[in-house]
Amino acid sequence: MLAEKYSSEIESILAKYPDDRKRSAVLPLMYLAQCEYGSVTLEAMIEIADLLDIDVTQVASLIGFYTLLWDRPGGKYRIQICTDLPCALQGAEEFAHQLCEKLGIQLGGTTPDGMISVEGVMCLAACNGAPMFQVQGPDGIQYHERQTVESALALIDELRKRDDSG
Amino acid sequence: MTKSLVTLTIDGIEVSVPEGTLIVDAAKKVGIDIPVFCYHPKLHPVGMCRMCLVEIGRPARDRSTGEPIFDEDGQQVIHFGPNLETSCTTPVGEGWVIRVNSEKAREGRKQIVEYLLTSHPLDCPICDKGGECPLQNLTMEHGPGTSRFLFDEKIDLDKHVPLGELIFLDRERCIQCARCVRFQEEVVDDPVLGFTNRGRRLEIITSSDPGFDSYFSGNTTDICPVGALTTADFRFGARPWELNRAASICPHCPVGCNLTLNTRREARAEGRDVIKRVMPRQNEHVNEIWICDKGRFAHHFASSIERLTKPMVRVNGDLVQVGWDEALVRATEGLKDALGRSKGGLVGIAGGRASNEDLYVFRRFIEGLDGHTVLDDNLAGGDLTREMGVGRGTDLGQIGPGDVILVIASDLHEEAPIWWLRLKQAVERGAELIVANARATRLDRYAAHIIRYPYRRAVQTALGLLHAVTKRADLSPFVGDKSLQKVAKLFMKAENAIIFYGREGLDYKASEALAQACASLLTSTDHVGRANNGLIAVWPRVNTQGAWDMGLQPIPSGLGEILEQASAVYVMASDPVADDASLETLLREDTFLVVQELFMTPTAELADVVFPARSFIEREGTYTSGEHRVQRFYPAVLPLGGTKSDWRIVTSLANAMGIELNFPSAAAVMLAIAESVPNYSDLTYQALTIAESQWPHVGGESLYFGGNAFKNSQGLGVQVGPAAEPGEPSEVALTMPVEESEEDGLLLVPITRLYDRGTTVLPSKVLHPRLERLHIELNPKDASHLGVIDGAQVEFRMNGKRFQLPARLVATVPEGIALMPRSLGVSVVNPIPVQISSVE
Repeated sequence: MLAEKYSSEIESILAKYPDDRKRSAVLPLMYLAQCEYGSVTLEAMIEIADLLDIDVTQVASLIGFYTLLWDRPGGKYRIQICTDLPCALQGAEEFAHQLCEKLGIQLGGTTPDGMISVEGVMCLAACNGAPMFQVQGPDGIQYHERQTVESALALIDELRKRDDSG
Repeated sequence: MTKSLVTLTIDGIEVSVPEGTLIVDAAKKVGIDIPVFCYHPKLHPVGMCRMCLVEIGRPARDRSTGEPIFDEDGQQVIHFGPNLETSCTTPVGEGWVIRVNSEKAREGRKQIVEYLLTSHPLDCPICDKGGECPLQNLTMEHGPGTSRFLFDEKIDLDKHVPLGELIFLDRERCIQCARCVRFQEEVVDDPVLGFTNRGRRLEIITSSDPGFDSYFSGNTTDICPVGALTTADFRFGARPWELNRAASICPHCPVGCNLTLNTRREARAEGRDVIKRVMPRQNEHVNEIWICDKGRFAHHFASSIERLTKPMVRVNGDLVQVGWDEALVRATEGLKDALGRSKGGLVGIAGGRASNEDLYVFRRFIEGLDGHTVLDDNLAGGDLTREMGVGRGTDLGQIGPGDVILVIASDLHEEAPIWWLRLKQAVERGAELIVANARATRLDRYAAHIIRYPYRRAVQTALGLLHAVTKRADLSPFVGDKSLQKVAKLFMKAENAIIFYGREGLDYKASEALAQACASLLTSTDHVGRANNGLIAVWPRVNTQGAWDMGLQPIPSGLGEILEQASAVYVMASDPVADDASLETLLREDTFLVVQELFMTPTAELADVVFPARSFIEREGTYTSGEHRVQRFYPAVLPLGGTKSDWRIVTSLANAMGIELNFPSAAAVMLAIAESVPNYSDLTYQALTIAESQWPHVGGESLYFGGNAFKNSQGLGVQVGPAAEPGEPSEVALTMPVEESEEDGLLLVPITRLYDRGTTVLPSKVLHPRLERLHIELNPKDASHLGVIDGAQVEFRMNGKRFQLPARLVATVPEGIALMPRSLGVSVVNPIPVQISSVE
């Protein structure tokens, strides 16, 4: 249960919203759950729905809308490549395709060692830096702009090493 | 407060509508159909689908003076903007000019249809909606006929997704209008549907457990403008154009929702007509365009193969099938013989499932033989609702600011879902709702005041409220706390007030005392005898009010005593033995028993003669709703086997017994009712068929606008007024409650759940996964004293019998109480103390 482990975090998130607008806390609470479990589990959704007095469907429906959130387990690090129109014009789709080929996975898939997932996502507001992606992992979110397949692979190597040493 | 009128021109037609009216509605009022998908007159507009695009011209004004500009001919100059606008989100403006069918507007809508069809599967030939599909119709009207989009780029999505056991989703057909999502959120407050993902991959999801957990889910299939949502009951069942229709009234609860029964002749049914689906029929005074899922899906009992089709008589201890003549002779002889004996007379027991016509001739027949009629029911007060029921012209849809509604001892969401919905909406319009019950119910969420009393203290609570209003000295023992004073003040200053009372936690006598206290509260605050004021009972059956009006009423002490005296018993549409097994021995002895029924019930099994009755789908008649609206239902299918309408069975037997009861038709019975029942004096079958036009327009040509509900052309029914005139000083006699001594153990209280396992629900297999299971509900504290965990088996003894069943721990159950839903296998009529123990 999130409420036991993170009671003070939850309290401070809820304190940001008026009592009759509690439901606005749904995104930060889901992010908290995702950091804890690696994805927003059904149990976590039910707990959040109870906390905010909304239906679990209203929690679950947000996950598909925001690429920040997911409801099933994936790699420890998620490489999220923006494939919206301006990035696509700069070759983001081709970049994503080649990167996946090198890693031997489909777009949306996870490497066999469970370390890396690669996903195509909606606008990350960095069109000028395309091709670009963000990495979501245990240590938060980092942007990587003006990427090539080689630079991305180098980063992935580094992520794997970081994990070995950590 | 009336809104000022705004005048505008739509395609050359001048129209004046109240300020705030949306352009799409204003156009509809003058017969101009602006096509819509996401817009629905019962939902808030969102402008999602863009189908309703029109050109809007606004009067030009001088920027410096703000004065209107006129051209050389003295005509006001109208400015049209560069873009098309959504007529479903734009309220009308004075002097506006709307172009609906201009070339520009038509081209805009054509492009929207083309876009909507880019990923639509176009599987109309196998789609349930095909033939009554707004997308199909509007594509024919506005669509391009061809597509410029690549077939290979079509998005394929899942086609047979069960959202629960009752509703299926076809994701490809969905055009993302959110009518279903918004209906669930805005109208019925079960937000169990949502959108996930984005763009063309947008999908409807439900995460509730069970899936799509709502008593109103079927309505989403009516307002879905495509075949994305279909019911498990009708899915792939028939094409809409093959269906015949008959107007009907839902037989499941006292709301009296108007229905249309869609039927089709089927080879599978040996060429008989069968019910293919039950649809809402518009009656804005009763159910608007909605029905609950019980009304929609629990119709299969009427065509069940378990139905009785031939008369039966007892031969050497066994019931054997015979012809009508023989059965009538046996019944006549048996009754004469039994009544000729010295022992007591005839007792006629009838239930609130029967129609007014049945009940009227039943009473005439039984009284003609000097017998006693008894209504088999355990809620009192039908005499009071007849005198002080809601006035003529009452419409829950008009209750709003300044009005007060009290609901006491009832769980409307389970007992009468559409009343629950109507009260929720009244609160949204500004009415104040007071909910009084011993436990929390779904209605609490909308209550301005919640009164919580211990079970067995409902009457005292109502009397406390009455004391706060009247300050009567004899009521001083019931003085309540400040919250009662507050509620009393609300009642006194209310413009209109209605009280709904039920039977939760009450025995018959207590319900009588409660009805009296509520009636007295209404009379002493001058809330009787006029529209939107009065007393409503939450009856257990569809026509219990009609039964009281026809002159039947229950016996306060129960059936036991009178049956002991009886030498002959006649039962119609009632199953007293199922409720009270102890009656079995009384009926088994040397009592001559005649039963007319749909099924071989425990009571029918004891009978000497059994007559097979017709169900509501095979005959005509009228029911009187809890709001005192008398409504007609019509035959939808040919009668099953040798069945007859209840009133006809009674008149045949009456005539054989030498009692003159000759009626050529149900309509003729109604004429006799009108002559003898005061409030019914101006009723005729013709009057009941009058149907004024209603807003919004639904069904038929307007199905894209208001969805698939059926327009009401067969009658809105007639509300019969209460006997009491306004201002008439009416003193209600009060019964003071008897303080009951606290007994050891828990008080077992029967409650109502919508999906029970009664004979009118169980034959509908489609509902089986949702039916309540036999269990008992305990407060977790009581359970821990008893050493019972959630789901564990418990046992108790009642009336000398031992029962074992699983327990559920529910925090809202008051301490010291065990709740048991009715009609699940163990019959509990009245609250009764029991010793519950854990089963090792």
